[in-house]
Amino acid sequence: MTPFLEVKDMKKSYGAIKAVDGVTLSVGPGEIVGVIGPNGSGKTTLFNSILGQIKPTAGSVEFCGENITGMSPLELSRRGVGRTFQTLQVFVKLSVRDNLIAAAQEFKGTMPGRLFASPDAGLGQHADQMIELFRLKHVANLPAGSLSYGQQKLIDIAMAFMPAPRLVLLDEPCAGVNPSLVDELRALLGELNKTQGGSFVVIEHNMDFIMKLCPHVICMVEGKVLAEGPPAAVQANPQVLEAYLGN
Amino acid sequence: MNNAQKLGLAVLLVLYALLPQFLKSYGIYLMTLLCVYLMAAFGLNLIVGYAGQMSIGQAAFYGIGAYTAAILMTKLGMSFWLVLPIAAIICFAVGLALGFPALRVQHHYLAFATLGFNVLVFLVMRNEEKLTGGTFGIANIPRPTLFGYSLDGALPFFYFAYASVIILAAVLWWLLRSPWGRAFAALRDNPIRAESTGVNITAYTLLAFAIGAACAGIGGVYLSALVNFIEPGQFHLSVSLMMLLAVIVGGSGRFFGPVLGSVVVILLPEWLRFLQDWYLAIFGFAVIVLMVFLPGGLLSLADRLKFGGSAR
Repeated sequence: MTPFLEVKDMKKSYGAIKAVDGVTLSVGPGEIVGVIGPNGSGKTTLFNSILGQIKPTAGSVEFCGENITGMSPLELSRRGVGRTFQTLQVFVKLSVRDNLIAAAQEFKGTMPGRLFASPDAGLGQHADQMIELFRLKHVANLPAGSLSYGQQKLIDIAMAFMPAPRLVLLDEPCAGVNPSLVDELRALLGELNKTQGGSFVVIEHNMDFIMKLCPHVICMVEGKVLAEGPPAAVQANPQVLEAYLGN
Repeated sequence: MNNAQKLGLAVLLVLYALLPQFLKSYGIYLMTLLCVYLMAAFGLNLIVGYAGQMSIGQAAFYGIGAYTAAILMTKLGMSFWLVLPIAAIICFAVGLALGFPALRVQHHYLAFATLGFNVLVFLVMRNEEKLTGGTFGIANIPRPTLFGYSLDGALPFFYFAYASVIILAAVLWWLLRSPWGRAFAALRDNPIRAESTGVNITAYTLLAFAIGAACAGIGGVYLSALVNFIEPGQFHLSVSLMMLLAVIVGGSGRFFGPVLGSVVVILLPEWLRFLQDWYLAIFGFAVIVLMVFLPGGLLSLADRLKFGGSAR
């Protein structure tokens, strides 16, 4: 399979600390790749290095054959790369519906053109569909900041999918989500993968979630890839078990 | 805005239009000043309330607009109608330039950068005597005519300023209801997420400052025509602080917040004058009480009643 996203020998150091130490990974079109690892293993730093939030010390990132290393989040978003963050990142004073529209409106037309566009930028119907899909209809007109953590997390994820990105990097989508919603969230992501056809890279600590959602899993420890492959094989890898549980 | 709110707004607009008919010249002057002040406050609300940037330099743009009008009208004999867009464009350009520090610093650092700008402009107004008249200011600034009809009288100028602020508010309302308004709010609420969702935070930050500055510049042109005389003291840092107070007291990020806030800042001290020596102290105390109990501004009272708890 031709790689869609290809990360080569990515490194990020903070002084003597090597947060990411020579990570190489590739993601194919429509593929869902899981990234696991203990806290502090460099998963989020890897995401931030790929997504232009921080400047990598070395290495390269290619997306659809284009070198996107060091590109700003704005440039990446225009190339169809979306993300969610480890911590909640919603527009707290905007309504849920406006959050979703805001997440996609900048990809419609030109900036001067948007000044004269309809208030919903022609995205109202699509936003309503996403609100329905993420079971947020009853809170659609409330300010996002007034909702529970779990609901805001759902908004956060829905926002990433609003512009139908070609690649989405999800950083701990289950964190803070009610356990009863986790299965629902997994089903939702599976459905979006089928309907929108994008590729996903998912960081997650919930093993059950990642094992069921991702056909390919990478385990990072101390900034390096310790193991990768099908979820069952990674889970059974003695080195992975040792990294999580100790000797 | 629902139908009841639209009706309420229409009634208030009509009442405000009728009120000067029953007032003496000083009352009409205050009501006109409120309209003029509101132009600058609307602009500041765009910068602070909608785009989430800090500015303590709005009076500088108010002054640039006023001095541009005064110089061009008294020294070059230019028409008010020509001066108005020139002042707005100059303030837009200077506002764009002042937006650049906002790309590097935020919050109180940005506040001090804009404060420094206000002080700089004040010093230019005071010290560049040949151009600005220094502390003596510029007098005999003419009022405009509209289709050959003189606006020299207090009432005609009031209605002119009133219609103008309504037009300006309508333009801003349309702008803030467009996707641009949502992008400004996204920038205010979460710039990191905004950028990752394609919002060009550089462009929107600069535009917020530029449009807000242009509004203040327009207000300044009207001020110069209203008072016929300007001097640097009218654009001192304290005026910027009062404008910021107007935005915050009314409800920052709420469209009609600056209206209520400007009423508090412009009219409340006048209403309290019967307290004689105590009126400013009482005004200050009232503002403190308001900020403690309604930190989200006067317009947040409705939300507090609806949702309960803090009205931030």
